[in-house]
Amino acid sequence: MPNCLVIEDDTETREYLCNGLRAAGYEVTACADGAEGNRRAQEGRWDVIVLDRMLPGQVDGVAILEQLRARADTTPVLILSALNSVDERVHGLRAGSDDYLSKPFVMSELLARVENLARRAAWSREVNQLQVADLQLDLRNQRVSRQGTTINLQPREFRLLEYLMRHEGQIVTRAMLLESVWEYHFDPQTNVIDVQISRLRGKVDKDFDPPLIHTVRGAGYVLSSTPVLGHANTDR
Amino acid sequence: MPIPTVSLKGSIAARLAVGYGLLLAGAVAAVSLLFYLGTVGVFERAIDNQVSAIANRLAQAWRKDGADALRREIDMQLHDSIDSDVEIVGLLDERGRILAGNLPAWRARLPASGELAFATIERDGAPVSVRLVALRLDDGTRLLVGRDLRELDAIRSVIERALLGGAAVSVLLAFAGALVFRRSLEARLGRIRRTAARIAAGDLSSRIEVAGDDEFARLGADINRMLDRIESLMEGVRHVSNSIAHDLRTPLGRVRNRLDRALQASADPQALVGDARLAIEDIDGLISLFDKLLQIAAAEAGMRTRSFEALDLAEIARDMTELYEAAAEEQGVTLRFSGEGPIPVRGDRHLLASALASLIDNAIKYARAGLHVDIEARSSERGALVRVRDYGPGVPDADLERVTERFYRVDQSRHLPGNGLGLSIVTAIAQLHGAQLALRNARPGLEVSIVFAE
Repeated sequence: MPNCLVIEDDTETREYLCNGLRAAGYEVTACADGAEGNRRAQEGRWDVIVLDRMLPGQVDGVAILEQLRARADTTPVLILSALNSVDERVHGLRAGSDDYLSKPFVMSELLARVENLARRAAWSREVNQLQVADLQLDLRNQRVSRQGTTINLQPREFRLLEYLMRHEGQIVTRAMLLESVWEYHFDPQTNVIDVQISRLRGKVDKDFDPPLIHTVRGAGYVLSSTPVLGHANTDR
Repeated sequence: MPIPTVSLKGSIAARLAVGYGLLLAGAVAAVSLLFYLGTVGVFERAIDNQVSAIANRLAQAWRKDGADALRREIDMQLHDSIDSDVEIVGLLDERGRILAGNLPAWRARLPASGELAFATIERDGAPVSVRLVALRLDDGTRLLVGRDLRELDAIRSVIERALLGGAAVSVLLAFAGALVFRRSLEARLGRIRRTAARIAAGDLSSRIEVAGDDEFARLGADINRMLDRIESLMEGVRHVSNSIAHDLRTPLGRVRNRLDRALQASADPQALVGDARLAIEDIDGLISLFDKLLQIAAAEAGMRTRSFEALDLAEIARDMTELYEAAAEEQGVTLRFSGEGPIPVRGDRHLLASALASLIDNAIKYARAGLHVDIEARSSERGALVRVRDYGPGVPDADLERVTERFYRVDQSRHLPGNGLGLSIVTAIAQLHGAQLALRNARPGLEVSIVFAE
């Protein structure tokens, strides 16, 4: 069970976070103030830390993060902040956070991002080829095939599929896809990502069985060789 | 108008006026002194030299040729027709009797030998001031040589009167000028102050009268521009609070009713879950509405300039075209991109992308099915430019100005999804980047451009 440390001063948000993370299978430890949070964060036994940006007292979120990184501790950190501005985001990421989410947040978005961070080590390693069931993606010559049939993908579709395959079995949200595949961080008005996914599905899933790309209602998508029954509960 | 009491502390105009008055008075005094020394002073020195020269010459004659020669010299001096009417010469014996010369009598104490002095003597029946020198000769007689100063006194008094008169006139002029200066300054400032007072009292539409093109006119124009901006912001705030109140009522009412219904039907867990989900969706909509308002506010406050970097506008436009291509196709709309990169601009890549996405999204919404949306990025002579054009119905000319206002929606678009914030966000983002948002009815369709200043 992955260990997760939550540092959040607002009682209600803290409980909401803990319940959500526990339901998703995390071992959660919670702290309400910066000083104690800082002490716990430096213990070095966490798989992921969820850190509120603004904390009462002397030590705020960014200070904890900076101290952590100063000790060359690379524990993945997700910053949670009510300050939703690009500057804040850039500030948080520069201080060494791995992800940034603004309040109010949707639990499914938070869970997808925490899971992404907790599993980071698994997908960031160097590979030449990705495989899920009978779907193969060759990173060297940018080729995709399924059941031996070559599938022609646009460069962006290729990156989209690569991202989904690297996060096999893990929910990725629309915002995560826009950030990672398109490298833009904003909230698109329309269902642009859904349409892109449905195109990809048309190429990857339409003529083959079983379908690999699944929609998780209210959360995002998951690429998996098994139906996503387990994720039905993570619906918001 | 009563003459205002001049308080030096409270009026820069009074300080300037008094300062310049004093400066002028000082300048007049200095010029007068120089002039006086240059005229009267020179005369006085010339007289002194002349008196000494004559006295020395006569004494010389006495020493050389004796008393008789001196008397002849005196006679010649007084009758040589050069300045004879103003020259005074007298030879006095030990008891003060006059032996020779035109000095009528001498009763006063004699000045020290060889020293030039002023004295008053009786001449032509009137007292006359003279400049004179007395030399004691070795035989006990004394030689007095002097010069009548009536002429010099006349010149002196003319000059003194002229200088005094001039000084008085210039000080008067300085004072009058200062007063006029102060009044006109106060009149100009008064306009600004009266306008400020009217605005403080709540009349935001009041503006400063601007006449001419001097410092005050420019200041007035600057203040007026600032007031225009403040007024439009205030107007915006008023409009926004009305709109927020209005826009929030509907979804909040809906959420409330749903939860109410869910409570009543709580026996049916299926319905409860459904209602809760719908309520959450409505609340998410509200949250995103607030996010957008905050985003506008942040952009308008210029909060994000710290994250600006060098970007390629063409690349962002191409990326956004690509991102929306599939979504557009579903609506039967084709996106056409034209543009050669790189087009360098400074900005925030995510904000610019979000602005462009919003424009493309709008264009797709309003483009008629089967038609195109053109997206163009280029460097124009006015600066870097990105342009989105649809071939839909366009916007009524009367609404063109107002569509960038928060919550403003053209009547015919009310049935379409949206909250009337899209273009306000784009405007705010453009302004943050020092860029202009330009809307134009291209007939057919609407053309929206973001033009970056060079």
